[in-house]
Amino acid sequence: MKPSFHPGDLVGIQVRPTRLWTQSLSWVLFVAGIALYVHLAVVRHQENPYDRVVPTAKQLYTGMKNAALQPAEEDMPLDASATLWQRVHASMLWKDTMASARRFLIAIALLIPCIFLGLHMAIFPYFGAVFQRFVLFFDKIVALSLLPILFIVFGIEEWSKIMLMVIGVGPTLILDTFNIAKSVPQEQVVKAFTLKSSNLDVAYRIVFKQVLPQIINSVRLSLKPLALFLFAGEMIASTDGLAYRIALMRRHMGMDVILPYLLWVALLLFLLDALLRFANRRLHPWYQPH
Amino acid sequence: MYRVLSYRRSLRSAVLVLLALAAASFAPSARAENPTFTIGWSVYAGWNPYYYMARSGILDYWGRKYGVNIKVQRFDYAASLDAFVSKNIDACTMTNMEALDMPAAAGVDTTAIIIGDYSNGNDAVLARDGVTLGQLPGKPILLVQKTVSEYLLQRAMELNGLGAKLPQLKLYNTSDSDIVGAYLGDKKNQVAVTWKPLVSEILAQDHGVKELFDSSKIPGEILDLLVVRTEVLNRPDGSGIRFAKAVTAAWYATMAQLTGTGPNAQKAIEGSAAASNDSVASYKDQLKTTYLFRSALMADQFATGVSIKDKMKLVRAFCFDHKLLGQGIHSPDDVAIQYPDGSVQGRKDRIRLRINDTFTKLAAQGKL
Repeated sequence: MKPSFHPGDLVGIQVRPTRLWTQSLSWVLFVAGIALYVHLAVVRHQENPYDRVVPTAKQLYTGMKNAALQPAEEDMPLDASATLWQRVHASMLWKDTMASARRFLIAIALLIPCIFLGLHMAIFPYFGAVFQRFVLFFDKIVALSLLPILFIVFGIEEWSKIMLMVIGVGPTLILDTFNIAKSVPQEQVVKAFTLKSSNLDVAYRIVFKQVLPQIINSVRLSLKPLALFLFAGEMIASTDGLAYRIALMRRHMGMDVILPYLLWVALLLFLLDALLRFANRRLHPWYQPH
Repeated sequence: MYRVLSYRRSLRSAVLVLLALAAASFAPSARAENPTFTIGWSVYAGWNPYYYMARSGILDYWGRKYGVNIKVQRFDYAASLDAFVSKNIDACTMTNMEALDMPAAAGVDTTAIIIGDYSNGNDAVLARDGVTLGQLPGKPILLVQKTVSEYLLQRAMELNGLGAKLPQLKLYNTSDSDIVGAYLGDKKNQVAVTWKPLVSEILAQDHGVKELFDSSKIPGEILDLLVVRTEVLNRPDGSGIRFAKAVTAAWYATMAQLTGTGPNAQKAIEGSAAASNDSVASYKDQLKTTYLFRSALMADQFATGVSIKDKMKLVRAFCFDHKLLGQGIHSPDDVAIQYPDGSVQGRKDRIRLRINDTFTKLAAQGKL
């Protein structure tokens, strides 16, 4: 017989809720959030049928459909014979996503050297001597305040935005890699040398290999600051991109487009994070986070 | 056993606290004698006087006379619009364009009670290296898109017979907080459209920059208003009307002082310059390119004139062409404007913006 539920169980550590319970409880806040939103939308639309601050599901749907199937306002309109694929391909959402994704992926590519710098700083004392203090200092600089300088050095086109992301996230990633690589027991390094390893063997085949899963996790945690810096850069000066559109829409309360865009960004980030997590598990099945 | 007891006890006290909080929030708050109204304003030559008006006691004087409390609160421009549309403030300073595409297009019935001034050179198209309007296509143009800056640029092109080249312009949406640095920092950016005091900052720091076009060539098209939600004006207890009367009277009293002569005028200019931390010299420079309606009579003549309708028509068409009126709007007539003579631009059943000269007229007749 199942023991009955006591209110005290809510704060019990050793309780074992049934699967049904855990599954349904995990959706409660979603449902509550949606219900709250719908309630707000209904109330506001009763008062003002043209309200744009809290769009209804219908407004959101139209906004989303137009974003995904219609070209951006600054582009040429499509002729009626265009196929669905052509429509999607020429759409505002596609254009903005591609522009933002390009910046995002270039920034991530530029973060890879940062990872190796951190690794080298941890392993090679001369690297550490040169870089550690400076990176430690640079890490504390608020990157956004450097933006006017970035504009001067990199112009207002793509590179200032990409460098904002790299400068904002890079130092933290370097330091994190440094700490992770430092935590590899020294005994392993000594042992490898006694087995005739070269310096590079130790760096890449002993240390790097076993800290890589932790570094990938660190990159996963950096996705959100990266997106944040991307948004900041695009909102300040740009001609396309997801945050550019949000900034424009904000100017006339286009919440019917802003909200789907935010969800789309969240979905993309979630997918990228899931991809990294999946790759990590596939590549390093032996890795057990402690 | 003890654990359970203490748990129960803490639960009970939590419930008591919650009940107390709920009771407190429902209890009738101490009622002020006079209803309170909030005006939101943002930094601009033509709106800075609101700050002086509140600080100098002019507003309080008229507020007391009409039995209303009036608070004046400073916002960033975009934030003030958001606050007005979401009904957190009762009145707000904004341009005619934003009055149309923000509150009016969002279904908030809006009444403009004061036409304070129009931009008479405050907004400008700037270019370096001798670039002309005809050479703009293909060059990156820094500006805050979908604002009066883009409107000004479009008018500049149209008035110079370059309207057909508008689609070829490469607009770079640049936040006003960074436009000066971005323009001056990189000489490759040859063109920018912005407003004073940013224009003055750019011109002072780079003598190679020239004004190609400014708003003095489109007088009366970029209007700076004080708007009130119509439902506030229509409050059954008449407090909204009293508020409008008080603020209109205070405004023209301030205008008389600001545009007058002698130590009082100086005080008003200093007080208004302080509103945006500008120097008196810089503020005076901005006032030169701001056409203030010095008296209620002047403002009323403008509001009841014929030209205002043509000018609003241009602004309305711009808002519609740029989809600023919203998704479901199929014609500019769906967001209609009513003028002081009762005529309506657009559909009569969808009046969203009302230019109301009742209070200005009373002020002009000295009846406030």
